[in-house]
Amino acid sequence: MAKIIGGLGTSHVPSIGAALDKGLRDTPDWKPFFDGYEVGKQWMRDAKPDIAVVVFNDHGNTFFLDRVPTFAVGVAETYNPVDEGWGPRAIPAFEGAVDFSWHFVDKLVERHFDPMVCREIEVDHGLQVPMELFFGRPEAWPVKVLPIWVNTIQYPIPTPQRCWDMGTVLREAIESWPGDERVVILGTGGLSHQLQGARAGFINQAADRAWLDGIANNPEPYRAMSREDYVEQFGSEGAELIMWLVMRAAMNSDVNLIHKHYHAPASMTGAGMVVLENAA
Amino acid sequence: MSEAAATIPDTPLFDRAGSIRGYRINKMAMALGQPANRAAFKADEEAYLDSFGLSAHEKSAVMARDWHEMVRLGGNLFFILKISAVDPTPITRIGAAQASMEHEDFLHLRLGKKRNG
Repeated sequence: MAKIIGGLGTSHVPSIGAALDKGLRDTPDWKPFFDGYEVGKQWMRDAKPDIAVVVFNDHGNTFFLDRVPTFAVGVAETYNPVDEGWGPRAIPAFEGAVDFSWHFVDKLVERHFDPMVCREIEVDHGLQVPMELFFGRPEAWPVKVLPIWVNTIQYPIPTPQRCWDMGTVLREAIESWPGDERVVILGTGGLSHQLQGARAGFINQAADRAWLDGIANNPEPYRAMSREDYVEQFGSEGAELIMWLVMRAAMNSDVNLIHKHYHAPASMTGAGMVVLENAA
Repeated sequence: MSEAAATIPDTPLFDRAGSIRGYRINKMAMALGQPANRAAFKADEEAYLDSFGLSAHEKSAVMARDWHEMVRLGGNLFFILKISAVDPTPITRIGAAQASMEHEDFLHLRLGKKRNG
């Protein structure tokens, strides 16, 4: 069986990628943010995963409103970075963990999920930025990826409980996979931010900091919260945090919070990460 | 969901009504992901908007870069950001416009940035 070696949570703000593209890493605005991720990068170097499962949402780059899958799973051989309007980015394409991805699709449907299955599709900053934050800018990514898209753009978005349930199936898929790959799971998005409406710019640092500890040590309240609660506490786009629940549910109920980092604002977002390992 | 969400002040959720209302604007903006469409937009913005069937009101909101109005008309930030990419307009200026605040005040009061730092 494959092995879950860690669960990571991270923001995926597009400005992070843009800052790297423009060489702004060490500017006063960005240095504290990127410095805090160094421990996460080091953890990743030491952990040597084979597969990264990345749970993220598209931001109107790959999916338009003509068809909106609540959950989509990639089974492609290659995922190219999509042009989001600023032109192509100079980062390598992502190689898919094809067979493992199909196995996950099988498990999902067995467990009564109905994902869209994507054979040919590009990926936006929701996947790109977390990979850059934890793997840097390699010539080629050192892992294969399994992308999971969650609709967090058009309501109705899935419930937190449903994201949690998907995480339990993800764990089952990893544990029933005959290979011996080392798998890391990245739940991405958030933390608090709001881009739309007169409350634009809403950031809730207290709720964000509580989230980083709570997602590790006491995730139950977050599973039970309504979508409205997420929007109220974390902002309209901060509801992306429901995607961390997929990662968290795939881990043991007891985890060790190995690293955490928080910085606000990154662009218009309270940004942060956690690195979790299953407790023995 | 929509009714409950309406109780969160100044927080429009992109629900059924918004998706239907904003479909043309968002479709026009989505197309700016293609370099050829960006070129057409830059060459003759009004003709580009006409080709997506935007109403006069929608067109004027886009051409005036009235971000608040674009969102009110159902524009979703993730799509209309592609307009800002063509300009380019920083996202914090779009936030400030919606909050009806000066940009510097928005950075300081909403996002918590230190002034001049």
